[in-house]
Amino acid sequence: MDQSVLILFAIFIPIVLGVYLLARPDYKSRVSLVANASVGFAITTVLSLVILIEGDLRLDVFTIGKNMNIYFHVDDMSRVFGTIVTIVMPLVGIYAFEYMSHYKKEEKRFFGFFLMVYGVLLALTYAGNVVTFYLFYELMSLSSVPLVFHFRSREAIMAGLKYLFYSLCGAYFVLFGIYFLNQYTITLDFVAGGTLNMARVAGSEGLLLVVAMSMIIGFGVKAGMIPLHAWLPNAHPIAPAPASAALSSLIVKMGVFGVMRVVYYLFGAEFLRGTWVQYTWLTLTLITVFFGSMMAYREKQFKKRLAYSTVSQVSYILFGMALMQSQALIGSVLHILFHAVIKSALFLSAGAIIYKTGVERVDEMRGIGKKMPKIMWSFTLCSLALIGIPPASGFISKWYLATGSLATEIPVIAWLGPVVLLVSALLTAGYLLPIAIDGFFPGPDFDYKHLEKKDPTKQMIVPIMILAALAVLFGVLPNPVISYVTELVASVL
Amino acid sequence: MSQYWILVAILLPMVGGVATRFIPFKKEKQMFFFVEMYMIITSCIVWGLITGGTTEVFHVVHFVNDLSISFKIDGLTMVFAGLVSVLWPLATLYAFEYMEHHDRQNTFFMFYSLAYGVTLGISFASDMLSMYFFYELLTLSTVPLVMHSLERDAILATRKYLYYSLGGAAFALMGLVFLIVYGDTLEFQFGGVLNMAKIGGNANMLLWIYLFAFLGFGVKAAIFPVCEWLPTAGVAPTPVTALLHAVAVVKAGVFGIIRLTYYSFGTGFLRGTWVQDVVMILAMFTAVYGCSRAVKESHIKRRLAYSTVSNLSYIIFGVTIMTPLGLVGALCHMVCHAVMKICSFMCAGAFMHQTGKKYIFDMDGLGRKMPIIFVCLGLSGAGLMGVPGLAGFISKWNLAAAAVDSKNPVAYVGIVCLLISALLTAIYMMSIVMRAFFPPHDFDKNTIRNAKDPGWKMCLPIIICAVFTLLLGFFSTPLVQFFRTVAVGVY
Amino acid sequence: MAFVQNVPFFSIMISMFAGIVSSVLSAKTARRLNIIATVTIGLLSVWLLVFLIQSDIGSYTYMMGHFPAPWGNEIRAGVLEALMAIVFCVIMLLSLLGGLHKLAEEVAPAKENIFYILVDLLLGSLLALIYTNDIFTAYVFVEINTLAACGLIAIRETGRTFEAAVRYMIMSLLGSGLLLMGICMLYDMTGHLLMSNMKASIDVIMQEGTYAVPMLITIGLMVVGLAIKSALFPFHAWLPDAYGYSTISSAAMLSSLVSKGYIFLLVKIFYRVIGLEYITESHVLNIIFWFAITGMIFGSVNAIWEKDIRRMVAFSSVAQIGYIYMGFGLGTEAGIIASVYHMLMHSATKSMLFISAMGLTDVSGKNRDFFALTGAGYRNKVAGAGFLVGSLSMVGIPIFAGFVSKLLFAEAAISGASWRMFPAIITLGISTILNAVYFMKTVLRIYTPITKEEELEKGFVRIQWNQQKIYTVAIILFILLNVFLGTNSKPILQMIEVGLHNFM
Repeated sequence: MDQSVLILFAIFIPIVLGVYLLARPDYKSRVSLVANASVGFAITTVLSLVILIEGDLRLDVFTIGKNMNIYFHVDDMSRVFGTIVTIVMPLVGIYAFEYMSHYKKEEKRFFGFFLMVYGVLLALTYAGNVVTFYLFYELMSLSSVPLVFHFRSREAIMAGLKYLFYSLCGAYFVLFGIYFLNQYTITLDFVAGGTLNMARVAGSEGLLLVVAMSMIIGFGVKAGMIPLHAWLPNAHPIAPAPASAALSSLIVKMGVFGVMRVVYYLFGAEFLRGTWVQYTWLTLTLITVFFGSMMAYREKQFKKRLAYSTVSQVSYILFGMALMQSQALIGSVLHILFHAVIKSALFLSAGAIIYKTGVERVDEMRGIGKKMPKIMWSFTLCSLALIGIPPASGFISKWYLATGSLATEIPVIAWLGPVVLLVSALLTAGYLLPIAIDGFFPGPDFDYKHLEKKDPTKQMIVPIMILAALAVLFGVLPNPVISYVTELVASVL
Repeated sequence: MSQYWILVAILLPMVGGVATRFIPFKKEKQMFFFVEMYMIITSCIVWGLITGGTTEVFHVVHFVNDLSISFKIDGLTMVFAGLVSVLWPLATLYAFEYMEHHDRQNTFFMFYSLAYGVTLGISFASDMLSMYFFYELLTLSTVPLVMHSLERDAILATRKYLYYSLGGAAFALMGLVFLIVYGDTLEFQFGGVLNMAKIGGNANMLLWIYLFAFLGFGVKAAIFPVCEWLPTAGVAPTPVTALLHAVAVVKAGVFGIIRLTYYSFGTGFLRGTWVQDVVMILAMFTAVYGCSRAVKESHIKRRLAYSTVSNLSYIIFGVTIMTPLGLVGALCHMVCHAVMKICSFMCAGAFMHQTGKKYIFDMDGLGRKMPIIFVCLGLSGAGLMGVPGLAGFISKWNLAAAAVDSKNPVAYVGIVCLLISALLTAIYMMSIVMRAFFPPHDFDKNTIRNAKDPGWKMCLPIIICAVFTLLLGFFSTPLVQFFRTVAVGVY
Repeated sequence: MAFVQNVPFFSIMISMFAGIVSSVLSAKTARRLNIIATVTIGLLSVWLLVFLIQSDIGSYTYMMGHFPAPWGNEIRAGVLEALMAIVFCVIMLLSLLGGLHKLAEEVAPAKENIFYILVDLLLGSLLALIYTNDIFTAYVFVEINTLAACGLIAIRETGRTFEAAVRYMIMSLLGSGLLLMGICMLYDMTGHLLMSNMKASIDVIMQEGTYAVPMLITIGLMVVGLAIKSALFPFHAWLPDAYGYSTISSAAMLSSLVSKGYIFLLVKIFYRVIGLEYITESHVLNIIFWFAITGMIFGSVNAIWEKDIRRMVAFSSVAQIGYIYMGFGLGTEAGIIASVYHMLMHSATKSMLFISAMGLTDVSGKNRDFFALTGAGYRNKVAGAGFLVGSLSMVGIPIFAGFVSKLLFAEAAISGASWRMFPAIITLGISTILNAVYFMKTVLRIYTPITKEEELEKGFVRIQWNQQKIYTVAIILFILLNVFLGTNSKPILQMIEVGLHNFM
């Protein structure tokens, strides 16, 4: 319960370093840039780990105005999200040192913003009330845009702007909600189980449901939930691979985190259960799950396929949350963790392939497994995990989701949910496995003569392999995680 | 402080301005120094006055019948006078450098100073007639500023400005006359001065008149059907657009509406009537309309002008909520928007001044070349969008809090409009900033080789305003607290 | 009876005799005589006004030659009459002074003294219209007034002015004819010509309810007659040419005084002959009201279209006359007070506008075209200032006279609270915008500088104030008068109110 300044350090050291990188003149040698950036990653990661281990820290920073406090509180849910940020960001950073060496002049900017995003993401996970959350949520949108249009081709800029405006659009849906919550809650701090002031709410339930829906849709934008998902398949693939990995595995999760906070920590599941909001939300997520897989299946561009896959997978998580049922929620939280690891690995592999061969379409990737075996092995492992083949991690989370869905009393959804999940899992297999199969078994007409080993340097391979290993490991030894999550879920439901 | 100081504050810039025109200065620098000096002195007097607390009414001359020109200081005066007196010397400093290569500088600064005096007159006016008097004078004293370049488009713009403003004033006058007939006094009193006994069965008629007068003052505040003059008037030199068409003149319109609504008709009379819905919907519509026009505009100043149109309507939206909290929101946005918009206009002006270009597509890659300008522009743009931690967020928060608190369904829709317009704001402001900092990869940097940040006279006011944007974003509590006291009529 | 009470009689006589004597004088002497006469009458009227205000009399009737009615002729003087006389004298004098140097150019030297005769006659007839208590005498002076005005228009002796004068003559005589018919019918019904006696009889007639239709027709005839003469829309066709092409002093006098004389007569008829309550009851006022409202818009719209500055100002008069009649049309006393005040304001402003417009065209190669005026405000600063003030007053900027009358009209319209309110105030608003359009357009035009080279090329000259001293003085006085009316309206309004009460 101590006031911990550590939080501030963890947030602002990377941000300040990022700004410093952006503002200073170009480095003479690349080494010093890398040194600077890696110092930033290292310090932040260590601080963040300390905070995660410590847990339950609070910090009142500042009051902007009435009901507008900047307040941090690391609770159990924060730790889940903090964990994925702390796992993925430094690994992606290491990977990026190699990957970005291609684009010399722009490197400084990339790492500057990347560090800032790191700090902002941590701040989001620590945010103790909705105002702070919103503040950093906006900052996250703004600071991650330059990552998206890093290459500054016309397409990239358009995608970046599209990303920005969708994000802001979502943010304003959220803000709309915050304005009302300001009036109808006891406090804007996140409290497990909700903080609505029932005395005031009485009579305005209809209004508040609209507000809740608007906030869910708003945060849903970042999470790629239909109807405002269209930015995602444009923005994720166009960014450099490390950025795509961060976007797809972490930034998208912050949308999920937002929804989580709104539903379970502000409104409270009690208030929303059984209302039209829940049903609409469920329907939207199911549609998104199916639609995302379907689109991914049809998509030939590699990174875009992965982006659609993100759309679909993240809605698994949202679906679990929308069920408002403990089993399903456990599944959701687990999937948050697993998907972050898996998807960043997938994107990094895709990046490695593009980096080395320049191939961007799946139908040109025949035999890739022969050229880059290490990368493709990791890719295949992660694919299996994502599809949910036991014992890889994806299986566990999906299992919980499915049982949770079957256990609800909501008509139609109770059976439709598992069906959609299953179909989508099949589709996932359909769009991921052929890549691996074609990669390793290019067929008899493949030209083995010109085959050359193209596996990239260790800097790129090691992060991918670590992530892939984690993806499997979580599946093999899930118990500590599951017990933690179960406890967590029990506290919010 | 003695009440006569009010008169001094109003007259000093006027006299100084006229003197500027006729004193044969040997060097430009002397004139600049002279102008800046009396501006600062005036501002000091104003701050002395408003920190000295409220005063009794001070009659200067009697006019028609029992009507007189008279002044007093109340809460609203403090807000408005305090605001303009901070911004005016800053904008003047900026103007020195901006106007360097223009002809007829002394004429320009004469009218620039006159407008200062007149604006102070508006804020100090203690009754509707005095305010109306200065309101008209403001139109006239700013006309030469708008047509300063004397080019054809400037003259056409001036005409449009004049027609709109004078026409609007004519309708505002109707409101004034109605107050003479149906009110106890023309004096501004919080809560209104209508005499219910005199009104009898004519309440509905009075609502119509409120609508007329609202639209009349709304001309200067650029409310929807009568907003077209503002973007057109952007042909004026940037110090004019920045200060007058983003702050003084347009805020005077808003100020008029506040006086009309809270201090003359009274919210008790208006709240819950059809006219409240009408004006609120007008404001909401304008908020969205202005933004969408801004998005379409590629001329930087016209874009910002449309943005002003939209933001003014936020303030008016706050006013039309017609609760004390609504007024708090309105005042808050009045101050915050003033700071942010003047900053962005000055940045736009600096861009035009340094490069001689006017369009947004000419801004590619300038972010690196003119870092101060574009960082400040980005900051003010983000503020206008309502990014937390900047001024815009605070004011929007207060506006929305008022709207939610009013329990008026129309106001709820208003929040939606605010947010739509915030999104559009993001589109038109961020696209500028993004372009400046992240030009397309095939952009040829040689085309902007010579661009650089302007001198300190331009940079200083811009930086100060940007800093205000930040400060207001973080340390607004005392200010909002003060607005709360104003809004319940303590002052 | 105090000696001062002879002032009305003296005033009329002085101006009449000045006219007669002028016919044998040289132009220069005639001018001096005219100026002296005007000043004298003005001063006398001030004396009378002061006397009337200080004593409790309020108003009095003055029997010419001590013959009682019905044989004798009566003069009646009150605060309002004295006030009108003063204003008329002041404006006449200023108009004359302002246009003085132009006169030599525009009027043949041999005809110059005739000009002064006409001016004297005009003043005399106006004073008589103001003071007379006998409706037939009024008619006689209406005719004299018409003739003098015709002469003033025609004296420039160009083709356009003859045409204008003839047109004015025809319209004006039509108006006089209608007025005469009205007077005849009144005489028929009442058997009197003195206003006070007529009023008494009409009261009786109205109460008995006999002659309802003839009375309506009579009111209609007289109103329409005077409306034609004072150029109420749609009877204004003669006006733009008459004001636009005559010599400048004539235009200033015609626009500011002649029409006002008729309107003042109409006020007297309303109050002193028929009685306001009957006028209000009759539907004639509705017709006037709508005509007036249309006129307010129409005159301004025409002025916007007009490219000739003098004609533009002339069309503006149509609109302003509309204002005055709108005040009548409201049918309340507040409306009439506003109208009377507007008469004063319009006299003072419109003559100034004409005179300044002349100053502006003179430095623009005598070209009256709107575009030729570019930068004229810098070439003749005095005229520019005059035009600026006049325009601001017309648009209704506070501290100038126009603002007060606009305020009064609005107040009158609102306090009446009848169905007329909304059309009235909306038209006021729209008409203000229209006024702003054409006046401000011109102001901007004259203050848009042109280069020295352009000036030389076009042969424009610059005139400083010391090259036109009389003109400068006239304009300055006009401006002061305007500001005076704008800032000291309180006593004036009181006088008007008292004067109107004394009418009853």
